[in-house]
Amino acid sequence: MAYDPRRANSGTSTPQPPPPPPPPPETSTQADMASTTQALETANPANAATDSYKLKFCTVCASNNNRSMEAHLQLSGAPTAFPVISFGTGSLVRLPGPSITQPNVYSFNSTSYNQMYEELSGKDERLYRSNGILNMLDRNRQLKWGPERFQDWVPGVPRVDHLSKGDKGAVGTEGGIVDIIITCEERCWDAVVDDLMNKGTALNYPVHVFNVDIKDNHEEALTGGKAILDLANRLNEAAVAEHRIHGSEGWENGTGPARQSFDEKVPEILADWQEKYPNLPALWTLAWL
Amino acid sequence: MAQPMDNVVDQVAQLNAARSLVLGDAAFYPQIVNGILPLVGASTRLELRRWGANFLAETFASPMLAVAQKEQLAPNVLQTIREILELPETDTTVLQSLVQTSASLYPLVFRHVANNTDRVNNPQDGKSWETMSAIKQDILRRMDSFPCPVKLCCAKFIQRVVQVQTPGLISDPRRPDQNETSLAVVPRNHAILSIPNLEAESSGLLDRLLGVFQEETSDALLVNATLNCLAPLIRTRQSVANKIINAVLEFYPAKHARPPFTPTIRVSVKSMERTARALLINILKKNPNHPLAGRMQMYIERLMQSRLEATDDASRKRGLPNEPTDGLDNAKRARLNALPPPMLKIPPMAPGPASFDRLFTLTEDTGLSSFDVKQLPIDLVLKIVVPLLSQVNDSTLSQAVDAVRTRYQTITKEQNLQRQQQQKAAAQDEDDDYEPEYQPMDVASVVSEEASAVAAEVADLQPELVSLGPFVLPQPPPLSEEEAGEIGRSAVARVFGMLNAAETSPAPAKGQSQQKLGFARLAGSTFDRDAWSVLLARLATRAPAGLENDQQTKGDVRKQTTIAESIRETLYRFILEDFRGRLNIAIIWLNEEWYNDRIRMKSAANQRDDSEEDSEPTVALNYDTWATRLLDGFLAYLDSRDIKVLVRFLSEVPEVTIPITQRVASLAKDPERVNLCVQSLMYLVMFRPPAREMCLNTVEDVYQTYEESRPAAGKVLTKWRPQSTVLETAANAAPEQSEAKPVTSEP
Repeated sequence: MAYDPRRANSGTSTPQPPPPPPPPPETSTQADMASTTQALETANPANAATDSYKLKFCTVCASNNNRSMEAHLQLSGAPTAFPVISFGTGSLVRLPGPSITQPNVYSFNSTSYNQMYEELSGKDERLYRSNGILNMLDRNRQLKWGPERFQDWVPGVPRVDHLSKGDKGAVGTEGGIVDIIITCEERCWDAVVDDLMNKGTALNYPVHVFNVDIKDNHEEALTGGKAILDLANRLNEAAVAEHRIHGSEGWENGTGPARQSFDEKVPEILADWQEKYPNLPALWTLAWL
Repeated sequence: MAQPMDNVVDQVAQLNAARSLVLGDAAFYPQIVNGILPLVGASTRLELRRWGANFLAETFASPMLAVAQKEQLAPNVLQTIREILELPETDTTVLQSLVQTSASLYPLVFRHVANNTDRVNNPQDGKSWETMSAIKQDILRRMDSFPCPVKLCCAKFIQRVVQVQTPGLISDPRRPDQNETSLAVVPRNHAILSIPNLEAESSGLLDRLLGVFQEETSDALLVNATLNCLAPLIRTRQSVANKIINAVLEFYPAKHARPPFTPTIRVSVKSMERTARALLINILKKNPNHPLAGRMQMYIERLMQSRLEATDDASRKRGLPNEPTDGLDNAKRARLNALPPPMLKIPPMAPGPASFDRLFTLTEDTGLSSFDVKQLPIDLVLKIVVPLLSQVNDSTLSQAVDAVRTRYQTITKEQNLQRQQQQKAAAQDEDDDYEPEYQPMDVASVVSEEASAVAAEVADLQPELVSLGPFVLPQPPPLSEEEAGEIGRSAVARVFGMLNAAETSPAPAKGQSQQKLGFARLAGSTFDRDAWSVLLARLATRAPAGLENDQQTKGDVRKQTTIAESIRETLYRFILEDFRGRLNIAIIWLNEEWYNDRIRMKSAANQRDDSEEDSEPTVALNYDTWATRLLDGFLAYLDSRDIKVLVRFLSEVPEVTIPITQRVASLAKDPERVNLCVQSLMYLVMFRPPAREMCLNTVEDVYQTYEESRPAAGKVLTKWRPQSTVLETAANAAPEQSEAKPVTSEP
């Protein structure tokens, strides 16, 4: 079939808006897409709607307290305000105690950050203030109610209540599914991939699972959280670019990398990201919810 | 121009509000889904189609919406999906969501159609299955031309179809609603779903799915997506599990990567390796005694040593943490094993006279080398040594062995030199107080001197061994007959133990090797399960053949069972424990019995020729007894679907006898198994000419005795014995019977 580049949407049944100026996105060809997007975003409400497309994230560490919550904060507090939920893969929530053999142990899903905060500040405020545990819990209780266990998560169950509770990052995750899972330790990555297999992949929904290896202390969690935000921004940029292309008609116009879909770009994005953060060894796979 | 745009924005906002409603309360789903279908269907704008497809994917994946409601919504939704696909749709996002929806819908529609056999002619069911099939064909046909994200979802769709169209476990036949959706829930005579066709299709699709592991250059996305969706198949579909695992075990990601090894390729290869590992670990965790467990372990270890991984880690990994981040951080430590082993530092041999302990001492630590291991109790040593041996690194071991070998060679060279010098010295100066006990039998000669020199040499090396002197085991006390029997039985029990052990060892390897051997195979040469069962059967038949006769002739009427009988008894029980799985052991055994009977009849005949006037040696025939006993044993447990088991047994036993056919005929007593009986007899009639007459007689009997068998048995008789008198009499009697029995013959 003869192809007319000026009629990019000839394959779809979209009613033809009158000719430009200003050009609506449907009629703009792939070639001038990049240069005109900026203008279009402000000019066109429909385009603004597509641009608000965001990947949905999930951060995971062992206790859903330090590393995953730092990343949760970074992702939900970013200018893009990503939809984000967070989990721990351990059997119990373990926080440092007065000595290495006396950790403070709580159960997942039923203890709130606030409870932990109150209990520990009652026990020994000086100790837990100085080792940063209280600061951490204070941050966490402003983000969401309490630590959740990954293995108990049922993907696809709506999380509307989290939205009403005011959890940060809850906007966009009402459907209970995510596009990207980022773990903070190889053991957690193994646990997540294994658990997704056990869950039976019933939703048929693809999910990219990354690991970014972060040491479990406050400083590293902060550096790691920023690096995760960087990764998230790069991934989202690619996803938005894919979303903006209307149909594969526009898509055949581009050449080389421009034709690649978001999914295909993922290994490349991770490799580029890894060059910048050689101290945070990363890992990735494509799994199913 | 802003008009249509605003319209779309408004509509999307309304749709989003509707979505919030159903997320809050799943009860609204039916209303909303039916309401939005016309708004987001084939003829609407891209934004709306995207929204709709996404919403449908979410709806049919949602665990909140009951299966029954999803089934009700399915027909309308299917129609919409088909229309959108036939546009043809080209937007990646829409396609992706539609394929996801189809994957969720497939089991629902399948189950609905499979369960409604009573409404065979229900046009609604027929139509939704037809639409579903059309969607399936469309997806499969276009899969390879789809953009990558859609292709991934297609792979998942294929996995779903395979899972549905492969027989699964029936957990409880009395409660069909609780069974998982699989081919096993489809009735055999379903009007729309033909089991063989569906099975064939799913087998083809599984090959297509696994084909991704054989590509020249792997697509990491597709490989990972496939690996990650295989676990449920392996777990719930026994019949294809081993095929899938083998396909994964043949796949080495590093081999499928082409240089240059850019960072992107490294990421891809590493991700495939780790995902394959995760899958196998998932299987092993579920079933640590899996028959392929050994191969899976080896595969995992080999992946850990992958060269790409090694270079990758060396350059990228930061140093080990100063202290473990928590008490149980062994997972990361273990990775050290993957590094190439360090070169072993071999110190020169300790000075002083050569001894075995010096020869083998490869450490310079005096504390270690002077430690007397004999102080430790033997079981403690075992506890330490066995795990140590399993962890010995190959290359370290070969380095150490090489070191010891070169040491040994230098020592022997030196000693040869010394010996020559000593001989020269001995020739000049005879000095035999070296060996006071040595009494030469002959006159001392050069030869004996040489021997003594060598002996001296050996004595130097092995003082303890030489001083031990010859050791003769004392004669064992004579065994009583009972003891001998007891020991014999325990030996047999151990062979049975091997049979059980071999059963759990890898099966496919066995299959391959046997195929290769073909006729060149010797019984018992492969040390697999079959070999052990041949060994047992021969132990029972050939080895003690004739011994029973001796006992009888001696008039030895003790009731003690002979070893052969006890082996037979045990074999019999062993087979009956799982006669479907162990049928081939039964066949091997019966063949041996039959052959043994022949041989003994022949030798008995020879004996008779030799000693004519003597009493005729009788031969106790075992084949008939045991064949009928086995058949009796499992006939009771056969159900109407076991036709393959029975036919295999009947066709592979060496001889079909009248008692056997009678046993088979008795199956017809049970109305459910009439067909089983007639079909197996028909098989014998068709493919076992020597037994044909016998079987036709039996079929006649069956025909006469059991009325339920008439339709099937009648067909056999009209084909193979049209002149049969039974048919005529039955034909005459038929009119009365058809009047007498309309109620029972039409269930």
